[in-house]
Amino acid sequence: MTNRATLRILVAALGMLCLPNAFAAPNESQDARPTAAIMLAQTCAGCHGTEGYTRGDALMPLAGLPRAQFIRAMEKFADGTRESTVMGSISRNLSAKEIELMANYFASFPENPPIAKGGKL
Amino acid sequence: MSAMNRRQFLKISSAAAAAATPLMAAKKASAAAAHVVVVGGGVGGATFAKYLRMYDPGTQVTLVQNEKDYQRRYGSSEVIVNHIADSALNISYDDLKNYYGVEFVFDTVTGIDFDKRQVRTQGGTTLNYDRVVLSPGITFDYSAVPGMTEELADTKIPHAWNAGPQLKLLRDQVNKLPIDGKVIIVPPPAPFRCPPGPYERAGLITQWMLERGDKNPSVTILDVNNNFPGDYNMVHLWNRFFGMNVPKDFTPFTQIKYTPEQLATLKTYDKPAKLQWIPGNQGGRVLKVDADTMTVEAEAGKFQADLINLIPPLKAGKIALDLGLADASGWCPVDPTTFESKMHPFVHVIGDSSLADPMPKSGYSANNQAKMVALQIKSLLAGNGVIEPIEMQNTCYVAAGPKNFSIFVTEFFREKDGKIIEGDQPPLLPFNASDEAYRLCRVYEESWIENFTHDTFYKPYWA
Repeated sequence: MTNRATLRILVAALGMLCLPNAFAAPNESQDARPTAAIMLAQTCAGCHGTEGYTRGDALMPLAGLPRAQFIRAMEKFADGTRESTVMGSISRNLSAKEIELMANYFASFPENPPIAKGGKL
Repeated sequence: MSAMNRRQFLKISSAAAAAATPLMAAKKASAAAAHVVVVGGGVGGATFAKYLRMYDPGTQVTLVQNEKDYQRRYGSSEVIVNHIADSALNISYDDLKNYYGVEFVFDTVTGIDFDKRQVRTQGGTTLNYDRVVLSPGITFDYSAVPGMTEELADTKIPHAWNAGPQLKLLRDQVNKLPIDGKVIIVPPPAPFRCPPGPYERAGLITQWMLERGDKNPSVTILDVNNNFPGDYNMVHLWNRFFGMNVPKDFTPFTQIKYTPEQLATLKTYDKPAKLQWIPGNQGGRVLKVDADTMTVEAEAGKFQADLINLIPPLKAGKIALDLGLADASGWCPVDPTTFESKMHPFVHVIGDSSLADPMPKSGYSANNQAKMVALQIKSLLAGNGVIEPIEMQNTCYVAAGPKNFSIFVTEFFREKDGKIIEGDQPPLLPFNASDEAYRLCRVYEESWIENFTHDTFYKPYWA
């Protein structure tokens, strides 16, 4: 067996081991996505895509962003250490608690798109 | 595949089957479930229908739309200067129908029986509702401008504020402009749909003429308003690139004025500007239009032009006016937390038609109002009451005109003491913004259009 073939099997196996998590997500997500978090996070989707899944590479995808990274980015936008267009203003309009709710919400989605559900919601 | 992997695979397969069952059950139960009717398939109506089905798949949603071949309005001025094809504005309702399970009736709503909670259409359909959400856009008050008629708008002086044939007419007129031709743009009195829009058009047309090789194009904005969102950056750029003097007594929309030091860095010109903005306090108010001589008479004098783009004063969508959902302002008063009409219960008005001041009448506002109201209606239908607090946002990227110079406006909204209030953060680029910041706005603007259209009308990318 070549190294590449082994790798391919390993990747496939890992992918499958990850699958049950995708199905478990609805239960876990109940807590990660309280209405207060949805209310805040849905305001982002106009630019960053529904549930934070973005097309193209200009606007940052938010789905699956680790919560600490989301919070750090918002803090840096707010204090100006990270340059931005709209994000400086938006981040300064949010409280630390609100940013945490949004961070939890986006972290609750898998970074890679979930499995297609056969063309229907 | 090893034995362990095979077992794992079987486990997953049965999990998949189990996961699919509740979804199907929910669909079947929906026939007896709550019914929400949406009137209007623009940004507000489409976003609402999509998100209510996402958040509350057990609720039946029927969208009544009068235009089968709908074109998005936001970003449509890019068509008139040939940045994008007219067909790029076309919207398909297939995903709302097939993926989200929204039912469609392509027809015109003629009445709503508020007591029986029924929507009636021209074609004779009657729809019962638990809640009805209207997002009927805008109507044009031609009678407010002496000399202006709907027929003229369709044939000679297009407003092109609703995409469609008038937008193509305006594009053709722009493309036929004589060298160093004269253009007049007349924005409606505020509040109106897309507050920076007429100014973006002026900038785009000026730049288009310059790129064509015109040495002295003449684009004039005759304006009843004294300011507009984004003016702080736009006036700065027009001064730098289009030879425009800062208008006398200029007080920007945000009330953030140029400091004396900043003003000293702006230029003063003594020859006519390529783009000239005459605000209301400088005589910009239009008194009448003469289509035969292509002359616009304003307080500041008479202006003859090769092209007139006059956007008449706007009001709420026709059905909202006909049903008495608007007040004397011409717009529909609503509760700021639910957007339920103050005129009738179980009726919600979102988007341009709603009186949601200080939220601008933008596509982004309509999109955000729609999602917020979807959460509220889900909660109300479940008997759980109104959700508080609420948050909404608006973000608009706007082309200033000069190539690779775009700006933005952004605001965050909450409710306080029965009113919508705006966050206190400056919603603009700073005065000393770099050229790179303006260019980045242009990059984001293009990407935003794509993501926003998807968030409003389409299924997820991965589905």
